[in-house]
Amino acid sequence: MKDIFDAPPQVPLRPTSTVMRLSRMGSMFPTRLSFLRSLMRRLASERAEVIRRDWQMCAEGFGHAVFSVDLGGYTYSLVAISTDLPPEMRTDRVIATAWDSAYVLFDGIPDADEITRIKANAPLQEAGRFGPRDLILSRANKSVRLFAHVAEALRAGRQPDREMIAEVGYLMRTTAVYGNGKFGIADRASFDTRAGLEGPFAAEMLTVWLIRHFTHALVEHVGQGTLDRETKRHLGIGNSTGLGMAPFLVNHPVLLNNWMLVRETALSRVLAVETLSEAQKARIGVLAARATRHLAQWNVPDPAHQARIETLRIDWAESVQGLSADKLGVPNALKSAMHVAENMSQDVQELMLSLLIEPFGDLVDGLTECMADPYGAFAPPLSDTVALKAQIEAEFDWALGVDYDASQHCGQFWYVSEAKMEPRLGLRFSEEGAGLESPLDIARRVARAHSDLPEVSEPVSAFLARHPDHALAAERVALSQRYPYAEIRDNLIAESCLPIDMLRCKLSFFGASKFDPKSDRWTRITLCQGAPLADELSEGRADDWWLPVFGP
Amino acid sequence: MTRSVNEVTALAVKAARGAGAPPAQATQFGAAAVVHLCAARDVQALDAALDAVPAGPIMEYPLALARIAEAQVECIAEGAFEVDAAALARSYIEALPCQASLTTDHVLHLDLNRPAARRDLPRIELSDEVYARWSALAAKLLVPESDASRISGAGAGLTDNY
Repeated sequence: MKDIFDAPPQVPLRPTSTVMRLSRMGSMFPTRLSFLRSLMRRLASERAEVIRRDWQMCAEGFGHAVFSVDLGGYTYSLVAISTDLPPEMRTDRVIATAWDSAYVLFDGIPDADEITRIKANAPLQEAGRFGPRDLILSRANKSVRLFAHVAEALRAGRQPDREMIAEVGYLMRTTAVYGNGKFGIADRASFDTRAGLEGPFAAEMLTVWLIRHFTHALVEHVGQGTLDRETKRHLGIGNSTGLGMAPFLVNHPVLLNNWMLVRETALSRVLAVETLSEAQKARIGVLAARATRHLAQWNVPDPAHQARIETLRIDWAESVQGLSADKLGVPNALKSAMHVAENMSQDVQELMLSLLIEPFGDLVDGLTECMADPYGAFAPPLSDTVALKAQIEAEFDWALGVDYDASQHCGQFWYVSEAKMEPRLGLRFSEEGAGLESPLDIARRVARAHSDLPEVSEPVSAFLARHPDHALAAERVALSQRYPYAEIRDNLIAESCLPIDMLRCKLSFFGASKFDPKSDRWTRITLCQGAPLADELSEGRADDWWLPVFGP
Repeated sequence: MTRSVNEVTALAVKAARGAGAPPAQATQFGAAAVVHLCAARDVQALDAALDAVPAGPIMEYPLALARIAEAQVECIAEGAFEVDAAALARSYIEALPCQASLTTDHVLHLDLNRPAARRDLPRIELSDEVYARWSALAAKLLVPESDASRISGAGAGLTDNY
């Protein structure tokens, strides 16, 4: 990590045994370290401007558009294609073959030939073919109800219904944002040293923000009117995310480590602040009130999740009493506030973390430079099986002592579906395919390696020569020496495993809010809600949109 | 048609898994395969390696590299490492995430504390035959969806006009 020198004081990090549990990861909220927030700060620091270079759209809003933005000395263009999709073809499922709109983030400014090529391929998505100047590929479907209402309201010369804006919160929702070489687009490694795109998913986030800009322009074009600024700002981009995203955190242990370590380091720096200025106290009070309003405006159809939100509202009201001006006036007030939260639910604890680091950009924003993984996973190998055994018992104790043959501990299995070549989760004892299981069963693998270790020490390579299937386990154990937050400390094939927790963790790092789970395997979210509009990047508010709220 | 490095890496990993290699060894093969292709080395060595599973380079090279690495002293290691005629072994070395160099007399030096220098990997031309062969191996890992998994998977209902 950078910032080794002259690092601010910090309290001890929360232990991995606390932080890396799936249920806690499923309680995370976006923070100022989230990738969208970092991107907005970067765009604002450069006073970036979005330029509409092309707009070939019929009155009904079908055609194409090109928007460009300069970032870090490069120009990037969103090529957006809007098509007339019959209602019966509109599905957010990965099995869809057509969408309301398709997008490519292009490296540079596309000429007519490039636009023609993209128009031919982008609507095909996975069936299309792309090249090295196509950085990101995406698609989105309309929220038909809200899009039609907003267009109709504008056409009638009025603003849309505020309740509907608050309820839905986006005009379109993306159903895929593809990066890193998929279907022939550019490898991330080909642009990840460029200023502004070094961070994880930076190009994807830039694409999403530009898509949001396009949706605003499109509805104003169809409605022939102008949305008021507050409404427009509250219209983010919806997203449907499912199991396809879940294995990422397991397959990228160093990235997971870096994200979580940065987040925990930020918290530990903030908790080391002994006294607060009047301005900091006031800021925390404002943010606590905003969080309360955000929770009040966060409503979902699923009864179980709505009940969880309602419980959080009650608990949060209690916990913010520790953030009153007088309580914040005593030494180590932030540590006390976090300590009080530790006796409450994980939802409260993670919301408190998110709030506490928000006012301290000077202390924590530099850490975001450590969230990428430019080098790949490597750690010195463990020299012999005694060392391997000791490391397993030190760092994977949570995986040992479990009967992985019992149905409750192995009832699910991860696989890749034939239909769309996407990750899926099956029920081991009632569905076919467990023989082709994907290796996300890290806990079971490490436990089995542990049980096969010889009594007499030998080189790990000799052990692996006899047990080649244990190579992945040995690799993960070796990585744990250098990357303490790399491993989700739960059994991901247990009947009790909820993939939605993995999704929420990753999406919170993107900057998602308004989690709206539709099952334990997929969720809707909103991105960029409250984010600065394209013409607000130089107004000083580009970094003040943590937990967006709508209305005065 | 050119392909991205990540596309070819993913395909090579899946092909190795489909051929029967365990996950860690398949991942190492994927990394080595793109280095091999970008260096315009003999693609037949990759096919031969896939054919040889559960023996051959895909299983043996990771062990050979591990034997050298685990003898490290303060993260510096060295040991003899033979390079085959098709140079797949060299591709494995060049794909290592740490600094590695091979002397002319086949001694491999590893610095396990220093990351390998980033190299610019160009787009990859993969012949249709190789692509089809690797895809067929990769397809061995795919599971037909069941009604249950389809219903409980990502996305909404059959249509979604909310």
